[in-house]
Amino acid sequence: MEWLALLLFAMVFIALMIGFPVALTLAGMSLLFALASDQFGWFDMAFLNSIPNRLFSIMTNPTLMAVPLFVFMGILLEKSKLAEQLLTTLDEVMRGFRGGLGFSVILVGTLLAASTGIVGATVVTMGLLALPTMLKQGYCPKLATGTICAAGTLGQIIPPSIILILLGDVLSSAYQQAQLNQGIFSPETLSVGDLFIGALFPGMLLVVGYMTYVFAMALFKPETVPAANNIASTPGLLGRILQSLLPPLALILLVLGSILGGFATPTEAASLGALGAIFLAAFRQRLSLTILQEVMQGTLKITSMIFLIFIGAAFFSLTFRGLGGDDLIHQFLTDLPGGVFTAVFLVMLVLFIMGFFLDFIEITYIIVPVVAPVLLMMGVDPIWLGIMIAINLQTAFLTPPFGFALFYLKGVAPNSISTLTIYKGVLPFILIQLFVLILLAIWPQIATWLPAII
Amino acid sequence: MNSHQQNAIAIRIPALLVHFVIRQNQFQIGVGKLFAWLALLLVGLSAAIVFVRYGFHSGSIALQETILYIHAIFFMMGMAYTLQQDGHVRVDVFYSRLSAKRKAMIDLFGSIVFALPSMIFILWIGWDYVHDSWAIQEASAEAGGLPFLYLLKSFMLIMAGLMLLQILAMISLAFCQIFYPQNPKVIALVASQQHQREEPF
Repeated sequence: MEWLALLLFAMVFIALMIGFPVALTLAGMSLLFALASDQFGWFDMAFLNSIPNRLFSIMTNPTLMAVPLFVFMGILLEKSKLAEQLLTTLDEVMRGFRGGLGFSVILVGTLLAASTGIVGATVVTMGLLALPTMLKQGYCPKLATGTICAAGTLGQIIPPSIILILLGDVLSSAYQQAQLNQGIFSPETLSVGDLFIGALFPGMLLVVGYMTYVFAMALFKPETVPAANNIASTPGLLGRILQSLLPPLALILLVLGSILGGFATPTEAASLGALGAIFLAAFRQRLSLTILQEVMQGTLKITSMIFLIFIGAAFFSLTFRGLGGDDLIHQFLTDLPGGVFTAVFLVMLVLFIMGFFLDFIEITYIIVPVVAPVLLMMGVDPIWLGIMIAINLQTAFLTPPFGFALFYLKGVAPNSISTLTIYKGVLPFILIQLFVLILLAIWPQIATWLPAII
Repeated sequence: MNSHQQNAIAIRIPALLVHFVIRQNQFQIGVGKLFAWLALLLVGLSAAIVFVRYGFHSGSIALQETILYIHAIFFMMGMAYTLQQDGHVRVDVFYSRLSAKRKAMIDLFGSIVFALPSMIFILWIGWDYVHDSWAIQEASAEAGGLPFLYLLKSFMLIMAGLMLLQILAMISLAFCQIFYPQNPKVIALVASQQHQREEPF
């Protein structure tokens, strides 16, 4: 009756499309499917008896404590108008170069990715502040919108990012399971910190890729990138640079440095980051009771949203396993001609396509737990797999027609910018993403060497 | 029953439902605003634990478990509030293009078919689980841990109970929107519900 597992998957997918909250749809659809299958003797309801146990382990998972802390830090930094100040100062610094504002947007995207990590807020802020200026200066609209969208999605891959925490959680249990299945009873572990460190170089590679593209456009298609702007900068620039750059850099150094240096776990680093963000906001006089309450309530909503998906996903994964779905996928992936390569390629393709429709949270908790143990048993490196999945899901944010970054930008862009312009604009950046994925596939060391020496 | 009585009922039903939805929403928002403060407590305590660990080279299991408890209570108490605020992510590729009435129909369907059964299931299957824990006053398995595991486990049922209440409010609201779209009280309630949905990521 393994085909039932595939039917469950298809029905959940269709049910999700009607637009009822994802977590509850996942739970309800799986439960109804389990009850119906149980009636026909195809399913044993005993599988769902462990729901309270699953709930309890979600409630007491220390790794996931990093989620509300980083969310708190991100929202507070966003409310401190970090992005605005960074963008205006960097623009002033870079305006002496052809394509200066384009580079500024990428740099600000990188800095925000390493501190707030909120894609939507970054894209919206840059769309409001940088896009009108870029268009006025004579940037080709496609290049301008593509750069903003791509730079905004960096928050998904550059640590600390929520997606890496969730992937770290899922992959570490998949890794344990894979090793136990192979008879290794003192299994190696994988931590969120490993993924953070592993993501650093691939993230930088993407930044370099984006910059190279803007640089190449300035060189070969100068009509799309305006020339240097020779307005003399206003006095006191150095002071403003220091004032706007130093606090976020210090915060990034505190959070990433403590993880890289091995002083702190990601959860500990997150709590320091959140505390640092409170000081930074107070320093900028952006801390009031109203803002604090907005930040706390925002943190509560995002955290609850994420954790309810975990509960929904628990219903799904128990039902899926009870119907023999895990074995089915295992059989299918190991029997593929071409071995590991085909298996990884196929999984990446499925994740990419799923990314058109589903959020990274659902993908991470529905699909990754099913496929990851199989791939890991085939000898795939867990850090490499995590980074490949993360870049893949990040790309989904950029991909038309449903990429979130595109919606965010369309929402704030001037009316003269059509949706099609944005679609065309992100295309080269999607190719850069794919290019980095291919590089990673050929040289896994790009992701694995740094975690190995730390 | 004469037509006058039927008319009276037709007016009473939406009025009662609207009253319930408004009270319920106030309650959930109150819970949300109160428990949101745990975010700040979480930040403060978990930063403190880092300083204690590195500054004084000592760790306290009780303190670590306290933070873990706060974290769990934080999001378990926030789930129904988040539902009230429409903060649970939807696949809104199609949903966002629908009319208000169609959206209400989807919410009514999803609440009854998906949400209600799953929360009732958690209550039903979680009851024994939590009951067993209370029976032995279950404590932490770690030496020096907190002796309140049974209290922590109870939040499963509290979460499901709060969710159930919120789902009933969603059903009432959607029902009113579909069957009494012209009722002035319903119109006023719907207008006050226009949350500005912010995308979380």
